[in-house]
Amino acid sequence: MQQAETLSARPARRVRWMNRDRAIALLMIAPSALAIAVFVYGFIGWTAYISMTDWRGLAISTSFVGFDNYLTIFSTGRFQTNIRNLIVFTLFFLASCLVIGLLLAVLVDARIRFEGFFRSVYIFPMALSFIVTGVVWQWLFAPGNWPNDPTGINLLFKQSGLGFLQAAWTTDTNVVPGWRIEGLRTRIGIPMAMIPVVVAAVWQMSGFVMAMYLAGLRGIPDEIKEAARVDGATEWQVFRHITLPMLQPITLSAVIILGHISLKIFDLIITMTGGAPGNNTEVPGLYMYEITFKANKFAEGAAVAMVMLVVVALLVVPYLIYNRRTEVER
Amino acid sequence: MASIKFDHVWKRFGDFAALKDFTLDVADQEFLVLVGPSGCGKTTALRCLAGLEEVTSGTIMIGDRVVNDIPPKDRDIAMVFQSYALYPHMSVYDNMAFGLKLRKIPKAEIDRRVKEAAEMLQIGHLLDRKPKALSGGQRQRVALGRAIVRHPSVFLMDEPLSNLDAKLRVQTRAEISKLHQRLKTTFIYVTHDQTEAMTMGTRIAVMRDGVLQQLDTPQNLYDHPANMFVAGFIGSPSMNFFEATLVRGDGQVLVDFGPFQLPVPPSRIDAIADHIGMPIFFGIRPEDIHDAHYVPRGVDESARLMTTVNVVEPLGSEVYAYVENGGKEMVARLDPRTKARTGEVLEIIIDMSKMHIFDRDTERALI
Repeated sequence: MQQAETLSARPARRVRWMNRDRAIALLMIAPSALAIAVFVYGFIGWTAYISMTDWRGLAISTSFVGFDNYLTIFSTGRFQTNIRNLIVFTLFFLASCLVIGLLLAVLVDARIRFEGFFRSVYIFPMALSFIVTGVVWQWLFAPGNWPNDPTGINLLFKQSGLGFLQAAWTTDTNVVPGWRIEGLRTRIGIPMAMIPVVVAAVWQMSGFVMAMYLAGLRGIPDEIKEAARVDGATEWQVFRHITLPMLQPITLSAVIILGHISLKIFDLIITMTGGAPGNNTEVPGLYMYEITFKANKFAEGAAVAMVMLVVVALLVVPYLIYNRRTEVER
Repeated sequence: MASIKFDHVWKRFGDFAALKDFTLDVADQEFLVLVGPSGCGKTTALRCLAGLEEVTSGTIMIGDRVVNDIPPKDRDIAMVFQSYALYPHMSVYDNMAFGLKLRKIPKAEIDRRVKEAAEMLQIGHLLDRKPKALSGGQRQRVALGRAIVRHPSVFLMDEPLSNLDAKLRVQTRAEISKLHQRLKTTFIYVTHDQTEAMTMGTRIAVMRDGVLQQLDTPQNLYDHPANMFVAGFIGSPSMNFFEATLVRGDGQVLVDFGPFQLPVPPSRIDAIADHIGMPIFFGIRPEDIHDAHYVPRGVDESARLMTTVNVVEPLGSEVYAYVENGGKEMVARLDPRTKARTGEVLEIIIDMSKMHIFDRDTERALI
């Protein structure tokens, strides 16, 4: 008892919130933290602010108009078409990349000969810029005067006796099925000109998805699959009930990575189609560029940018939260 | 329930033969332990039986069925892996139910079997958990449960205890033995641990370099090892071996070690009569060497030897002493009352009725 009293009587050692290590650590991260605060979050805030002004033309104007610019862009047929195109592009791009990436990974994982060679071949397109990919695939998908005097793959089809496969590709103006809905200023469906764009994007990114899935497949211990075989699973059931569920975290990461590339896509489309025919392949990224820097409607451009930010955030933020949680669990 | 037969089975991986002319008969309901050092082919044998590896030649039978070309799922076996190999994305319940669901067993029956096995293994309160939320011992039980619910005709276990701590290992060892008595099914159990082999097996198959060395009951393996490898592998500490020669002298047969000689008991002379005058290996287990002051009743005390004590390891219930005479060092497992001290002289008695004599060339046991 007495001992306890003497202990508590001793002056408590002050815990300093700022010690030497902490000060150095803060000093080290300060420059980058400051730069990010200004150039990323500061400018996001600036853009959000601009999107609620009436800034048109070269002279800056900061009269507050609330959400008028948002109402304006959402009511135009062009932006509605952009959104439709973006949805179509994202769905097809994601689905194709995942399916093809998984398929390639399973094939390469089957311990084939020259595995390293195939792996490199499939991943290589990722080393290219979307600009390069866009230019090359624009040439390939340029239909020429088909069916008689085609260019690009139409020419390939013709010369290999598959002439019936020739198509208008990037010049196809059809939207399938092209429903009209009361109140919408765009037709609902798949703009056919988007298909070649998706093909180019998938060509570039599916190798990357393969690499992710391959790493995932290699991470599944053989013993778990063997246990399933002994438990009575056929090879297909092992894949369906063991391999695929265990790849789920990979799929989620791939969806996030591909998703944010897809929602912000700009370079591929501007080189490949420039948004044509009509606005059939135009997406918000292109539209933002056009109205901001060509039409000088800075406020509306900022509104488009904010919409894109929100859409990407809807995809990424839940993922970040989920990741944090699972990390805490570990 | 089923018997198992390996008939002249070879398994090659490229140039390396993991199983060499492996022949083994396992009776129905037997608990057979495959034991040997790492790389001896015991796991390969188990994997061939499970259908996870194809044999290069020979046949494997489960019951009266040749299973060489039958996939694992149709062999009516269940296997417990060293790593447990639980499905990480499934709950404990689903892990156990997986094999039954694939076999399209009615839901109610699956539920009954899973609950029954969970109760048997005392994991009923863990059924909703994922494997990563379980301790090593609990995972091990789930792996056992996953095998039990299947009601297979053969249980295969590949070093199932090697990832547990020492205490849990001893406990689980006894539980697996109980499980065997309760389920009345054939068990094939692979381990490199001779204690596990001795305590659990109804019979033990000792393997080395892909070759079956000896197949016998634990006691027979201990008492009558077929060769020096088995003699050295079974028993802890290992049997002491010496190069020696059998000689005749003073009307008796002696084992001549060079610096000293020890008499062969008259009852054992017949078995080695052919080898008198020839070099042999002499083997004696540490437990058959006694402190001359504390000799158990009934042990013939005629083989006496003065030794120098090099190291003493007291274990409480017994004392391991490393003693030597003329450069011949041996381990003795002594009575804890021994006065053996490092560097001092100790008189020991060697129980020659327990000696082992091996052919110098073939290393096969003569007695």
